[in-house]
Amino acid sequence: MLRPKIALAAAVSAAALVLATGASSGAVSHHRRASTYPTLASCKTTVQSQVKSKGSLTVATDDPVYTPWFVNNDPSNGKGYESAVAYGIASKLGFAKKDVKWVTEPFDSSYEPGPKAFDFDINEISYTAERAQAVTFSISYYGVTQSIVALKGSKIVTKHTPAELKTYLYGDQIGTTGLTYIESQIKPTKTPRIYNSLDLAVQALQSKQIDAIVVDTPDGQYMASSEVKNGVQVGQFPSTGEYYGLLFQKGDPLAACVDSAIQSMTTSGELTSISKKYLGIYNSIPTIKP
Amino acid sequence: MATQPGAAAGVSDEAPISLYAQRPPRLRGTAGTVASTVSTIVLVGAIVVLFLLPSSAGFRHEFFSPHYLWESFRLHPSDYLYSVSKAFLYTVLLSVICEPIVLVLALAVATLRMTTGPVLKPFRGLCIAYTDFARGVPLILIMLWVGFGIPELNAGWISSQSVFVYGGMVLVFTYTAYVSEVVRAGIYSVPRSQASAARSLGLSSRDTLARVVVPQAVRNVLPALLNDFVSLQKDTAIVSVLGAVELTHAAQADASYWFNSAPYAIAAGFYLLLTVPLTRYTDRLLAKDRDRRLAGSA
Repeated sequence: MLRPKIALAAAVSAAALVLATGASSGAVSHHRRASTYPTLASCKTTVQSQVKSKGSLTVATDDPVYTPWFVNNDPSNGKGYESAVAYGIASKLGFAKKDVKWVTEPFDSSYEPGPKAFDFDINEISYTAERAQAVTFSISYYGVTQSIVALKGSKIVTKHTPAELKTYLYGDQIGTTGLTYIESQIKPTKTPRIYNSLDLAVQALQSKQIDAIVVDTPDGQYMASSEVKNGVQVGQFPSTGEYYGLLFQKGDPLAACVDSAIQSMTTSGELTSISKKYLGIYNSIPTIKP
Repeated sequence: MATQPGAAAGVSDEAPISLYAQRPPRLRGTAGTVASTVSTIVLVGAIVVLFLLPSSAGFRHEFFSPHYLWESFRLHPSDYLYSVSKAFLYTVLLSVICEPIVLVLALAVATLRMTTGPVLKPFRGLCIAYTDFARGVPLILIMLWVGFGIPELNAGWISSQSVFVYGGMVLVFTYTAYVSEVVRAGIYSVPRSQASAARSLGLSSRDTLARVVVPQAVRNVLPALLNDFVSLQKDTAIVSVLGAVELTHAAQADASYWFNSAPYAIAAGFYLLLTVPLTRYTDRLLAKDRDRRLAGSA
């Protein structure tokens, strides 16, 4: 009986492989290579031959840009989460503040295939497998979480244990990660309502047709504070792995050193302190379990 | 059943019956079979070739990818997506509940509109205003008004119904107007002499309507009625604007998640499953009715 033995061996080695990759890849580096990063010291010399324009780091983002990611529509002032992250990476790779050049790249064209005029693009771009076919992504510099928006005084505001969360009627826009989150993590007993726009979902929430909407935390914060009358952000869920990554031309070797810089900023706590400074409002939203 | 041209000419050269009579085909027997086979092969072949061309690979994947066809069809799709088969039940249930209600209400509206008593005059006016409104305003607008308006009233029980109830209400509201007009046309198609004869036999005006006029009226307009029901079955898709996961919306949700339009083909198949038997039935009734009339006039 050779076959069961082969199957067993295959299963064991597969399990070992899973364990090995699971152990070596940190919480932030899902979907991506679990290799070791090049040392920052070696990077300082290698990146000089990898950047598009010698001696400077060309960083792209959209125009206009918004708080909390940038401040006063000026990426070059070092304020705002993404601006601070970009300058943090630049300094790790040995670029002075004045050597960072900003260019404009509209969001919609950013993940199209082809040569890029920038070293990397930083513009709240979520990693997806489809996009990764056309471009290269860095490891996570911001983990996107989903959150619950409801009306003040409704039951879900106080009662949201995992079991209780299943009993509510949710609504969401078609095709969003929020809707996927409801179906895959909360798994409610009532089929959620699907709307063709987020506005209709908000209207349904406002007239109490649905109990809650699930949207990503920054959007939810905006909705609860300015869009929904009497709205409240009940809490945010732990990350499911959705994250913002820096975007590179497909196969750009520079990505390895940038990953190394992000990794170093993560372990040193620098990323956390930037996050506290600019995204504190989101961090203060309580985390609840689906 | 098919009248021979010679026989028809025997009655009269300009008989209206000649409208339905067919000229004998030029190719008959084996030649006819060959001709129809060749034309079928050419037509079907052209479509198949266009579909199978290497350049259509993207098209085939986008609209008919077997993987996504199956994923949206099965009862428990992966990634916690929506089963189009499950959503089909929603659509069937909605149509099946709405149709009898529409028929009963339409009959009421039509007869009310045809009354002559002075006391009922304001109700007749109301019926006219209602049919004008319900037929003249797009269904989707009425759907948004009712679906988002009534809950906004904060009127307790009335404001806390499900989308199924609101959607059904709007479908009934709109289709009752259409169907009542069809029924009214049917009643007008019954000769006055029928009603006069019934009354002279001693039937009350209510019995005359219920036992003599309406049965004939409904038979006269049955194809038109069924046509409206086919239309209603498809318009259940508009309940999706209120967030219901019916057939069209389930397919749409899957398509927008996968970036693949194959689920639409499954949804279309289900609609056909629902509507084709009804249209075939309508065709049969139409053919039977035609034969009956032709038999009468020949």
